[in-house]
Amino acid sequence: MTKERELAVATTYRIIVCDGTTCINRGSRNLISRLREQLERHGLADRSTISLSGCLGMCDKGPILVVNPGYTIYGNVTEADIPEIVEEHLLHNRPVARLAIQEDHLYNRFFRVFGDAKFFGKQMRITLRNCGIIDPENIDNYLSLRGYEALARVLTDMTPESVVAEVEASGLRGRGGAGFPTGMKWKFTAAQKATPKYVICNADEGDPGAFMDRSAIEGDPHTVVEGMAIGGYAVGASKGIVYIRAEYPLAIKRITKAIEDARAHGLLGENILGSSFSFDIEIRLGAGAFVCGEETALIHSIEGTRGMPRPRPPYPSVQGLFGLPTVINNVETWANIPVIILDGAKWFQTVGTETSKGTKVFALAGKVVNTGLIEVPMGTSLREIIYDVGGGIPGGKKFKAVQTGGPSGGCLPEQYLDTPIDYESLAKAGSIMGSGGMIVIDEDSCMVDIAKFFLEFTQNESCGKCTPCREGTKRMLEILTRITEGKGRAGDIEKLERLGNMIKKASLCGLGQSAPNPVLSTIKNFREEYEEHIHQGRCRARVCTNLVTYQITEKCVGCGACRKVCPVVAISGTAKKQHVIDQDKCVKCGMCFNTCKFDAIVKV
Amino acid sequence: MPTPLDLIKKKRAEAVSRIIGKGYLSTKRVYVGMATCEIAAGSKDVMEVFQKAISRGLTDIYLSQKGCAGRCNLEPTVEVIEAGKTPVKYGKVDKDRAMQIIERHLKNGQVIQEWVID
Repeated sequence: MTKERELAVATTYRIIVCDGTTCINRGSRNLISRLREQLERHGLADRSTISLSGCLGMCDKGPILVVNPGYTIYGNVTEADIPEIVEEHLLHNRPVARLAIQEDHLYNRFFRVFGDAKFFGKQMRITLRNCGIIDPENIDNYLSLRGYEALARVLTDMTPESVVAEVEASGLRGRGGAGFPTGMKWKFTAAQKATPKYVICNADEGDPGAFMDRSAIEGDPHTVVEGMAIGGYAVGASKGIVYIRAEYPLAIKRITKAIEDARAHGLLGENILGSSFSFDIEIRLGAGAFVCGEETALIHSIEGTRGMPRPRPPYPSVQGLFGLPTVINNVETWANIPVIILDGAKWFQTVGTETSKGTKVFALAGKVVNTGLIEVPMGTSLREIIYDVGGGIPGGKKFKAVQTGGPSGGCLPEQYLDTPIDYESLAKAGSIMGSGGMIVIDEDSCMVDIAKFFLEFTQNESCGKCTPCREGTKRMLEILTRITEGKGRAGDIEKLERLGNMIKKASLCGLGQSAPNPVLSTIKNFREEYEEHIHQGRCRARVCTNLVTYQITEKCVGCGACRKVCPVVAISGTAKKQHVIDQDKCVKCGMCFNTCKFDAIVKV
Repeated sequence: MPTPLDLIKKKRAEAVSRIIGKGYLSTKRVYVGMATCEIAAGSKDVMEVFQKAISRGLTDIYLSQKGCAGRCNLEPTVEVIEAGKTPVKYGKVDKDRAMQIIERHLKNGQVIQEWVID
């Protein structure tokens, strides 16, 4: 018996046949009987299992067949190819290069399990590759999917310099929002002589409606731990800190367990995997201030002082925690690192656009059919995200805008729907990438009201250290409030623009520098709505209470339901006759509108 | 002296055999979504239904939690994966649906099509 033959006999193969609709149409089911026959013929039937999977998301290359172990993917497989695959790959352990369409990449592994092609088809999962696949509290699950192999690889045959060079070559940029090249950040810290150095994971996610970091940690905490350990090795740090908000108890529990399990396996602590590298991670809880997501404020918070930003430079990479060189990266950035090491910077570069490489995770929310956590390659258009992944706007309503970047971002109207997602394109369109909040807005929302909502948030969270942010946002909010109450004055829009631009230029940190964005972008793209509020006292979405009146139409059958619920007795009328609302008494609570079963009450 | 890479490969092999030892390949695998969002939607109750069924004698099940896969509007989600069959993912699973999944799908091999996310 040859050596190859021995190996093949010793291995149990699991062959997965894609059972998605496209693959079935292309004849995948005929492959199965052929496979069985060939396995029998070579005496492999006892040692192989054939499984079906849901759509693997590679429909254009169907039928798809996967051979495990090894995760070799074969595409465009015909019945005639089966004997070759069985004989060459299964019998002689020589994968058939002619048909193999993918190497053993880490990304997208989840497609083996998920059949949900409509939602997952346009996605590409790098950082979320294990989210929703594995048991996050079981390190065996992570280890079985090449977990900690990237760490082992850098410890085995990469110098710290070559790790930094690899990350730099990948083109990875910070996923926290600003998009600073990660490799460059690491290089600055690695070059510093002062020790000890630190690496920090920023998990102080605070944007309203954002849950990317929480889900990533809850779904796959070890990826973050591994990424940080690799970062520690690259820059020469022996200590890592996860700064996570206290409002995320489950995420805290899971990352704490991940750190403990990694320690127990010798993957953290002294002399990791028998090497000379020692590294450990501790958890620090945030106390609930939005501004502590800003890196210098975060450092102050860890040091035990008040969480306020300070001017930069010096940047944390040079003088960070306790005045020592510190790398701070976002959860998602860290989760990219193991994939870059194992799949290589060269591969990573092929994903995304010219200036923005890789993928981005978004928390898709608002008026969209499939709300959810998604990860798409950079360069995917907003339209693809909202209509293909998100499934469009529910209830036949009209799309109005999409808000990206949370309270620091902007609202983009329909003409920007084909904007490809990357740092530069979004900035050019007047919004930002941000950390990944994406809220879809339909015609039922008032843009002035939305701008007010976000400004209210940042105004509340302003730490108060610098005047433009503290006073400026307050004044802007006053003007916005007055506009939504129907008391807007001529010149208010110009005043908002002037104030907003001033705050952006003069504020100390990112919070103030970006706080006016929601207002400025809605003025730019929806100026007519502001004008209607001010000059005509009209809110076209009928959201601003003071600008709405309720009226009863001739559809009224006189059932009296509205009369009974009205808290201020503003509705009068006799049974079976059309009722009327006394506009002087009406407080615009909307109770009658919600109660009427005949659509007889309208907002005008 | 084994390299870190040798050590991690050994660890992986051990992890895989531990998982297989728990019945990963030989049984029906049931995954219940257990991230904050899923729990808020009621997945803890769903998990309990499966746990109770197992303690009351339901066999050949590999029950596991999982993180959030991102289908917020259809949570809680439950997946049933079985060798030789297309994986099935159920959406909006509550206690009652969980019980029916046990009775109809796990015990009788009948997929409950109307709750499947596809």
